[in-house]
Amino acid sequence: MSRLIRSSALAWALGYVLMGLAALAAFAIPLWYAWNVTIRTGREEILRDDAQRLTEVFTREGVAGLTAHINARVGMQIAGERTLLLTDSAYHPLAGNLAAWPQDIRPTPGIRAALPDLPGQPTRTLFVETLLPGGYHLLVGRDLSRFLPLEQRFTWGLISAVTFLFVVGVVGALLIRRTLLARVQGIGQAVSAIMQGDLRHRLPLGGSEEFATLSRTLNGMLDHIEHLISGISNVSNSIAHDLRTPLAELRSRLEELALTRPPSAEAFAEIEAAVADVDRVMRMFNALLRLAEIDSGARRSGFVRVDAAAVAAEVVEYYEPVAEQKGVVFSFQSAGDAAVAGDPVLLAQAVSNLIDNSLKCVSERGAISVRVGRRADGAVEIAVADDGPGIADADKPKATERFFRGDPSRGTPGVGLGLSIVDAVAKLHGGVLQLLDNHPGLKAQMVLPVAALRAAP
Amino acid sequence: MKILVVEDNERVARFVTRGLREAGHTVEHANNGRDGLFIAASEPYDVIVLDRMLPGNIDGLGIIEALRKSGNRTPILILSALNNVDERIKGLRSGGDDYLTKPFAFGELLARVDALGRRSVDHAAERLLQVGDLRMDLLSRRVTRGSRTINLQPREFKLLEYLMRHANQVVTRTMLLEAVWDYNFDPQTNVVDVHISKLRQKLELDTERPLVRTVRNAGYMMSEHE
Repeated sequence: MSRLIRSSALAWALGYVLMGLAALAAFAIPLWYAWNVTIRTGREEILRDDAQRLTEVFTREGVAGLTAHINARVGMQIAGERTLLLTDSAYHPLAGNLAAWPQDIRPTPGIRAALPDLPGQPTRTLFVETLLPGGYHLLVGRDLSRFLPLEQRFTWGLISAVTFLFVVGVVGALLIRRTLLARVQGIGQAVSAIMQGDLRHRLPLGGSEEFATLSRTLNGMLDHIEHLISGISNVSNSIAHDLRTPLAELRSRLEELALTRPPSAEAFAEIEAAVADVDRVMRMFNALLRLAEIDSGARRSGFVRVDAAAVAAEVVEYYEPVAEQKGVVFSFQSAGDAAVAGDPVLLAQAVSNLIDNSLKCVSERGAISVRVGRRADGAVEIAVADDGPGIADADKPKATERFFRGDPSRGTPGVGLGLSIVDAVAKLHGGVLQLLDNHPGLKAQMVLPVAALRAAP
Repeated sequence: MKILVVEDNERVARFVTRGLREAGHTVEHANNGRDGLFIAASEPYDVIVLDRMLPGNIDGLGIIEALRKSGNRTPILILSALNNVDERIKGLRSGGDDYLTKPFAFGELLARVDALGRRSVDHAAERLLQVGDLRMDLLSRRVTRGSRTINLQPREFKLLEYLMRHANQVVTRTMLLEAVWDYNFDPQTNVVDVHISKLRQKLELDTERPLVRTVRNAGYMMSEHE
């Protein structure tokens, strides 16, 4: 029961019923008042006129004349239409169609409505009492019962309207509540299922537009959560897996040292190798922490106006000697203004990761070209293209996943986080990382929209 | 040099103090913030190695601020497990002179402590740097070795300048990255090595005495002695 009372649908419906009642009252009360006043005033005037005419008869013709007049009128009258009574000062009836002066009408001249208890007489009568000279009392009344059915009909109409309103309101409320509850319970069940671990479950989209919109929004949120969760579990799996290798090496190295107690020269070499293992693990951690830092978006607060071309040129210059040493043709081109709102260090790191990847995979005498330019839509494009083995189409969507390493790169140094960082940096800047075919090789390009530039200092 | 190490982790403290002593320095150690501040304020030191998170009501940044407020300008190397850029900037803004993330290689720490200790000697006014017969004129940006002029790219010039300013000290690859390229991320290949070897080719002809030595597990050292 208390659930029913707390139900918002019911509360709303009751509110509407009350509002309907208030509207009905606001309509009926003035109507009833106006009707009553008009009719009553009209009747009173008629009675007063009637009494006035009888008084004139009395003045002209005396008691006998009035008695005769009244008797004549009573004889002609349609029964019950008019009540007439003339009495002397002691209220003894002289003429009229009332047997006695009504008990509850006080002898004061004026107008009143009363329900005198008169046997065989109408039960509701409006009276005008007049005091005639010589102590005679004249009572002129009119039966109102003729109007009773009308009033009753009005009252009944009002009552049935109220009842109808109430019933429709309550039934409607219950129906709406049932529908709402069903929809809300549907969402609740879907959410419970999801909480119990079935992340692929989605809310049904049918029904009213409002609920469909809500469901769509929730489904969008669920898609995002599912993506994040799968990302997290992938990452945890990969971390566990990728850390196992250096840690296993480290462990066996240390254990072997303890077991074999080799001569010190050899022992030192082993210890140094062990330190190198630890450094490898630390590098992975650093890259992961950096990724987490980028993903959190906190770095966005430090965005400044950066010339992407200048950043890229510096990184190119930094890698130049390495390319030279490897015999790689390394070229850099930039066209036009390439200002973006961004973090110069992160952009440099992203470009550095792309060049680093290319340098690792191109063969000797290969070619790497870096281009920075502005596209027609204003976005700045930083592209690093090489003629190495590229990335297989099937691997492209996975290439930016954490710890993903394509088959050709398995043997090379690195932890598989380079492209993840580039991707994260591009996203932080509101852009994307695209991995395209360079026929042959890979063309990795960051497209950074220029929208936020004006906001940057 | 006289060095104060403020570090609460016993093992790290032992590792650092022992290493610094072996390198010939006099080392004092405090294992909480209150003692650290007290010792740092009561005696002059050449360098303070300071952990950021310390017990004893006052943390590393608090100590730096207190010291700087009282006019103490001792170079401070901050040790911290916090590696993100904001924390680094916060540490350096509070008055720290260098920032090293845990875990670190001892060689890195030693090189940075040495660099900080010599920083007290003011280099800024110099216009001529000299190591052996290698001379660098900072105004005309001319580099000569003996009678031979050496042509350097701007970045190579900056690299050589850094090495010469820190002559007879070990400089690590990270220090070079930070000082010469302003990169504080970890590039995945040892590009710095290639830059150094390129510089070496220009500095050291076959007949000339080598000036830049590779220090195993640490970095490089420029010196006229072998």
